[in-house]
Amino acid sequence: MSESLLDRQRRLVEFMTNGAVIFGDRQSSPSPPAGIDPGLLAVEARFSYAKRMEKITAVLPKTVELLDDRRGRVVRDFIDACPQETISRLENARQFVQFLSARELHEAPDPPYLSDVAACELACAAVDADSESPLSETDDGNRSIARRGIRRSRSAVLLRCRYDVRSVFEAGADRVAPARRDTPLVIVMRASADCPQVFEVAAAIFDLLGSLNDWTDLPGHEDGGSELSELVEHLEKQGLIEVRG
Amino acid sequence: VGIGYRAAIGDWTRANLKHFDVIEITVDHCISGSRSTRSAIFDLVGRIPLTAHGVGLSLGTDAPLDDAYLDQVAAVVERLGSPAYSEHLAFTRVPGIDTATLLPLPKTEAIAGKLIAKVRAVQARMPVPFLLENITYVFDWPDSAMTDAEFLSLICRETGAGLLLDIENVYLNATNHGFDPYEFLDALPVGIVKEMHVAGGVTIHDQSLSRPLFADSHSHPVPEPVLDLLEYALARQMPSVIILERDDRLEASNEILDDIARVRARVHRVRAGER
Repeated sequence: MSESLLDRQRRLVEFMTNGAVIFGDRQSSPSPPAGIDPGLLAVEARFSYAKRMEKITAVLPKTVELLDDRRGRVVRDFIDACPQETISRLENARQFVQFLSARELHEAPDPPYLSDVAACELACAAVDADSESPLSETDDGNRSIARRGIRRSRSAVLLRCRYDVRSVFEAGADRVAPARRDTPLVIVMRASADCPQVFEVAAAIFDLLGSLNDWTDLPGHEDGGSELSELVEHLEKQGLIEVRG
Repeated sequence: VGIGYRAAIGDWTRANLKHFDVIEITVDHCISGSRSTRSAIFDLVGRIPLTAHGVGLSLGTDAPLDDAYLDQVAAVVERLGSPAYSEHLAFTRVPGIDTATLLPLPKTEAIAGKLIAKVRAVQARMPVPFLLENITYVFDWPDSAMTDAEFLSLICRETGAGLLLDIENVYLNATNHGFDPYEFLDALPVGIVKEMHVAGGVTIHDQSLSRPLFADSHSHPVPEPVLDLLEYALARQMPSVIILERDDRLEASNEILDDIARVRARVHRVRAGER
């Protein structure tokens, strides 16, 4: 029985995404699909690999830079472990960040704040991409419920870092090693901003924001004057929460 | 005549709209691009005609089409007010692995039959005509039994789909695989071409190759032989859109405007009956 087209396509794609093929390790390369020049396939494989790494580097420039001379080894391990699943820049970057996190379980990260930087860059890209549909600017269906309340901004991402990595992203501050301390961050895209902003917030605020996935009643906050209403007003101004009613 | 929208030169593109008659929008950028990219693209609606092009369908994968993706594409096409939606006659992925690279299919009647069914399914979901684009390919399958032109023509004829003819790809394939690009153009039915692409690539010298390979990098000015092919094709085809594709060395904006002028000059020559 002849091989199906899908089986042939799968064998070709598996060959093209094989690390040994991409990195020219002929002894470890699998057999190429019959009748196709493996040299040509290797060239195509390297095109595909280069495009993928361009996408990842575009989302995670600081992370890739921090890998420094370990980059080749880490990327090779990544390619072997994680075939490309989609064409999306964000999803390829997410795969790389997850790979780095998993790697930390058996190999100490170098620098130690690598995965915090990666998570921060990924969160910024995710906020910029906006998880809501670009084709439908409607809300989540709760709009018709005329109740007062607050919830975390749909564009805000919460990120708890082991290091204060914000200095890594500040111009001219590349050489300052981030301090090791619990750092609760919120990454948010304000309506008027061109790019996401990263805030450090108090641990209690971080926990509060974490609990505000859905619209939540806060009795009395709308009356003004109280500490609670001032906090709500402040968080709304920062773009961290949405208020209705 | 226009260019494909690229976010990296979005500001420059908006400032230079007067140089273009049309802008090609990659629908995938509208679906999964950043908020700023999407906003900038949709801001062009009503300012200049837009035409929709896709890279994420993987029409040739021997598996069911992604209906959810097609519904998103249809919504983008409507929002753009595009007169057509084009995709590549290729596959990029199998379930679980996506190479993000346009790969060829075996050119046989059996494979054409599978593609005809797929094209009809796409047409049924799209609010506008569907166009197929010819790709450039580094390798071919050993069982390919039809020429590129025969394969494309068969699928277009059976489905009524138009062709987005990438002239650069014809030139590269002819050079890399040793066929006459003019014979290819002669073999296409008159009127089948609805849109065209032109671009400039690079030559790759790789130790694993027995000869240099011409690659479709969209990075350099359109070579004169590609413009010659464009002019030849325009004598038999009447595309409503010609798009310059440029993805690299985007800072060389003078090259982009110069290429647009060179394409326009060839169009005018054909219209003036000089060919």
